Amino acid sequence: MDNIIEIKNVTYKYTDEDKTVAAVNRVSLNIERGSFTVILGHNGSGKSTLAKLLNGLNKPTEGEVIVDGINTKDEKYELEIKRRVGMVFQNPDNQLIASVVEEDVAFGPENLGIEPQEIRKRVDDALKSVGMYEFRKSAPHKLSGGQKQRVAIAGIIAMTPSCIVLDEPTAMLDPKGRSEIINTLIHLNKDKKITVILITHYMEEAETADRVIVMNDGEIIDDGTPKTVFKNVKRLKEVGLDVPQTTELLYALNQNGFKVDTNVISVEDTAAAIAAALEDKKD
Amino acid sequence: MTILEVKGLTHTYSESSAAVTDAVNDVSFGIEKGEIIGIIGHTGSGKSTLVQHLNGLLKPTAGTVLFKDEDIWKNPKEIRKIRSKVGLVFQYPEYQLFEETVYADIAFGPKNMGVSGDELDGRVREICNIIGIKDEYLEKSPFDLSGGEKRRVAIAGVMAMKPEVIVFDEPTAGLDPRGREDVMNIIKNYREASDATVIIISHSMEDMAALADKILVMNKGKLELFDTVENVFSQGERLRAMGLNVPIVTRIFAELIRRGINLPENVFTVEAAVEALKKLKEEDGNA
Repeated sequence: MDNIIEIKNVTYKYTDEDKTVAAVNRVSLNIERGSFTVILGHNGSGKSTLAKLLNGLNKPTEGEVIVDGINTKDEKYELEIKRRVGMVFQNPDNQLIASVVEEDVAFGPENLGIEPQEIRKRVDDALKSVGMYEFRKSAPHKLSGGQKQRVAIAGIIAMTPSCIVLDEPTAMLDPKGRSEIINTLIHLNKDKKITVILITHYMEEAETADRVIVMNDGEIIDDGTPKTVFKNVKRLKEVGLDVPQTTELLYALNQNGFKVDTNVISVEDTAAAIAAALEDKKD
Repeated sequence: MTILEVKGLTHTYSESSAAVTDAVNDVSFGIEKGEIIGIIGHTGSGKSTLVQHLNGLLKPTAGTVLFKDEDIWKNPKEIRKIRSKVGLVFQYPEYQLFEETVYADIAFGPKNMGVSGDELDGRVREICNIIGIKDEYLEKSPFDLSGGEKRRVAIAGVMAMKPEVIVFDEPTAGLDPRGREDVMNIIKNYREASDATVIIISHSMEDMAALADKILVMNKGKLELFDTVENVFSQGERLRAMGLNVPIVTRIFAELIRRGINLPENVFTVEAAVEALKKLKEEDGNA
């Protein structure tokens, strides 16, 4: 298997008022190149700390993080690792700096010392890939939250990363902005083959992922496909999480004497499963 | 009894800055005492601007806001008085905590209204009891609390003023699922313990379906719809055109109806969906 990131028995500790806290505790995890992974966990579960370990923003207290064969502790490759694993954060307003969209997207490649012609091409391609090309001359502050966040993603894409890590990129967006971001990420993953790691509190956003990882108290407590992870409704609720409303309905139906297939998540599949269960009754 | 009435409210930001879409344009509606009103609309639709008029934080460019039939701007020098009657919980209210202790932060609002002594102490403790802030938290610094706990303290500070109307601007934004559930429960508990009128801005159609009596839909600064949950969420196409949607269960039911299954369209919560499907199953069993 071709892993883009290998996390080997990593612990990350920090000191808070004389107490040493392990925000990430002996975690081992491989991320397959080209995959779409969602990380879930309540606030304080260690998922943001884990995200920052992936591109060297945090260095492991114990253990190692290997990106494309490079150890994140190797200072020689610090910038190269940050280029390969780009990060997008929650608040789009804190991430955009230039007064024109295309200048903002050009900022990263300019810092890398890329030739101007190549920058022009990368900026255009990156903006097209997030559906923001027609706004290239706009001022970022005039854009909606979802549009700003897509510009922030374009800024990462322009550095031609192999992997993009997003820490709650949709937390401050309205439903339309949220679906814009998710559709953009699906496109970048499927069509541009970029590895995506998405941290979110919205369970519906995990629906289309290849893999869902659940963190609690600095440890990984579940790891599987969305269907297998969301089956465990009780456990998820115990660790302060939730399931998509589709799963919640199927779960409630089975508790009320229905025999519905719970191995589905999307609205269409859920309706099909309920329809099938109703059909069965008639026979 | 109509507790709040908004008539022809227009708000234009100074023309040199901000986009036109941020303004509120000729909006009129009335809210009855004790109702729970959900406000939905895309970012920039004017929701936040609208609610900041309800307690006099913003002054209308045109139109009036009436609290119990009286124009809140009748005597502009006394505009502050309305703020204890119509409490506003801002987005990310925890950023506004500043006192040394949780107790002092919750007491700040009522103290400013002139409440003191035993009554003040009673109010702080009553609110903490209703929303589940334990005694041992009261002497802590608010800055030592988790994000969800800080939010709770900030909300308690507004509730301690015992406003007759309490307005929440995206009270669950940025919280994890348990934090979101906690805040929704706090609002429900407060509502049961007081007879306050509640107005909530939210992006969660599911939360609004479960909590609100009526829903007000803002779109591009205009009031697009103001009606019962049922009458609003039965207009899926119209909502989607505005960048909104109906609750997920309602979408599942629409799909089942499309497949020719005889189910009601007006199902907006998981509980109602289970009931409707049970009923259908029983009817089939009897056929």
